[in-house]
Amino acid sequence: MKKQWGRALSVIALVVIVANGRAEAKNGIVLDGSTTVGPIAKSFAAFFMNKYHVPVTVSESGSGNGAKSLINKSCDIASMSRSMKPQELAAAKTKGVNPVSSVVALDGLAIVVHPSNPVKTLTIAQVADIYKGRVTNWRQVGGPNFPIVVIQRESNSGTQESFKDLVVGKETPVVGSAETQASNGAVKSRVSLTRGAIGFLGLGFADASVKKVAVNGIYPTPLTVKNGSYPLSRPLFFVTDGQPSGFVKQFVELPKSADGKKIIKELGFVNKY
Amino acid sequence: MNLGTRKLLDRSFTALGVGSIVIMGMMLLVVLMPILSNGITANVFRGTIEHRKLLYNEFRRGDHAELQRQIAESDAARRKAYAMMAAFEAEMKLMSEEKHAGYQEKYDQVKSAMKALLGPVPGEELPELTRFKYGQTRWSKAEERLHELLYEKQWDYSNPDVEAKEYDVSRAASFQGTSLVKLFPYVESNIDRMLLPEWTVYWGFITDSSIDSHMFGGIWPEIQGTIFLAVGAMLFAFPLGVIAAVYFTEYAREGFFNSLLRSANSTLAGVPSIVFGLFGLAFFINTLKVSESKSVLAGSLTLAIMILPTIIRSAEEAILSVPKTYREASLSLGSSKWNTIVTVILPAALPGILTGGVISLGRAAGETAPIIFTAAVSVGSAIGLADVFSSPTPALSWNIYNLASEHEAASEIRHVQYGMVLALVTIVLMLNLSAIILRARISKKLKG
Repeated sequence: MKKQWGRALSVIALVVIVANGRAEAKNGIVLDGSTTVGPIAKSFAAFFMNKYHVPVTVSESGSGNGAKSLINKSCDIASMSRSMKPQELAAAKTKGVNPVSSVVALDGLAIVVHPSNPVKTLTIAQVADIYKGRVTNWRQVGGPNFPIVVIQRESNSGTQESFKDLVVGKETPVVGSAETQASNGAVKSRVSLTRGAIGFLGLGFADASVKKVAVNGIYPTPLTVKNGSYPLSRPLFFVTDGQPSGFVKQFVELPKSADGKKIIKELGFVNKY
Repeated sequence: MNLGTRKLLDRSFTALGVGSIVIMGMMLLVVLMPILSNGITANVFRGTIEHRKLLYNEFRRGDHAELQRQIAESDAARRKAYAMMAAFEAEMKLMSEEKHAGYQEKYDQVKSAMKALLGPVPGEELPELTRFKYGQTRWSKAEERLHELLYEKQWDYSNPDVEAKEYDVSRAASFQGTSLVKLFPYVESNIDRMLLPEWTVYWGFITDSSIDSHMFGGIWPEIQGTIFLAVGAMLFAFPLGVIAAVYFTEYAREGFFNSLLRSANSTLAGVPSIVFGLFGLAFFINTLKVSESKSVLAGSLTLAIMILPTIIRSAEEAILSVPKTYREASLSLGSSKWNTIVTVILPAALPGILTGGVISLGRAAGETAPIIFTAAVSVGSAIGLADVFSSPTPALSWNIYNLASEHEAASEIRHVQYGMVLALVTIVLMLNLSAIILRARISKKLKG
């Protein structure tokens, strides 16, 4: 008697699990890549699933991994916070992948410090000196007498690459004592908990728990990023293999639609179109 | 040794044993209590009217008539606040340009604080993201937002030599002399009527899908993904492990090759799980191409390889602990070797084999590293059984990490993270418990 009950229960459980997924058995879209593009990708995914009932999955493993997945053909769209590197383009060519980028949004690279830090503005040269290790105390840049804790991103990060391109210089190494965090969120929480810390984030991630610093006198806002006066801004990309078609095309073109623009704006990113 | 010293030593050893068990129990309590008390807040909390609106709009759950009545009640209280804001907006238009600009920024802050507390202002365009369509769904969060509405956080930078201290500035004070000044005490004293908090038990947290990347809704896709991955790993690893153990104990001849295999197996058991994760990516996805992208299948295979050594070892131990007399009795009755293994040895070893298996199942459910590159995604819907060969899935272990570090609003949704931890711990605990019960029942059956 007991056995029968057990069997009946397991059959019911199986039916429930199968029935649950029935409705969405179409071919899905797979996104992989940047943690900076993550909020946009996740919100687009939710919007897309609601509207077209196509399953969309999003992984946030860094721009470098996104590019690798695209080259290995294990994702449909690589979301990237930098453009493809020459090596990646070469690797893609040998595998017969033809990367086509389209801009999702613009993003400011906000330089953030602990809210207790009185420093309001830094020049690009000052930020570069901090990351090169030439400046080690906030006093040297007009702040309190307090050592600087330098926070950077991992080498896989597109944000790190953009930052190095724009601020430190491509070939110059970041100071060895710099601490590495693996995502925008991790940098934010580290900076918000550490007096004397400095880090950089996508503008969409910089909330009230950290203090954004003006760079060359310009404060990062969607407006200054859009009109180009904020010096540290960069485009974010969706990269596909060849010209996208079907649902992937619709997904990639969401940033041009009214709904897509609204989502990007609400998330704190800047519309390109 | 005389009797006195022996007794003393005996007693002190007993005391030591009891003490260490007590310490272990306390440690367990220290670890488990916060998991339980924080985790339960995902299911049981003081929910506001916004939570009930959300449930009705997204899942069609709740009593519609009662909800409408409550909405009317809260709207009545809110209308006055919105009227005050509209009055101030009109007042601002009449001000001189400078004064207007001075107030505009402060007023924008007040307005966004009101939106965060109560949801979109009526009459304005509805936002696209679900997280901005509703006010605070949880009373504890609403209280924090209320504080932000009433007070502005500022930092005292007056002395550049020391770290600044934060202090609160009443927002009402900065609107002194305008009509908006009434808004703050009004909202403060009527917040209960505006949000109508009541104790809510939200079991949907376990059975619902998440809405707007875990801002609202539940964690069913994650739970289901964890179960799929763990069970899938078991389907591959368990038969393979038992067969390997039978080979090791019954068929393999002791020798160089055999001891090499054994030590290879022990080494595999000690390999860090991230190595298996990278191996799974390189081997199952990039080389064998078991699936186009990350998938439950690839993740299960990777987890299976990870738990295989443990299953082999425990099955081996279990088979070796079957008394020799069983085997001899069976063989002496004319049974073949294979028949002896299947009908006598494996049943007798079953409790031990199963225990090892279920404990490995628990490990497979809890591991993060092997599935990062092979199966787990941060957002995805619950998949059907037919999709396991091609679709990746969210899974508890990975999503806990994702919410803790990468999510853009991590500090807003700690309760989801706690809820996931509780769910994962409960799944693993239940698996281990069932192992114990299963073992007890089978050995009872064998004895009786």
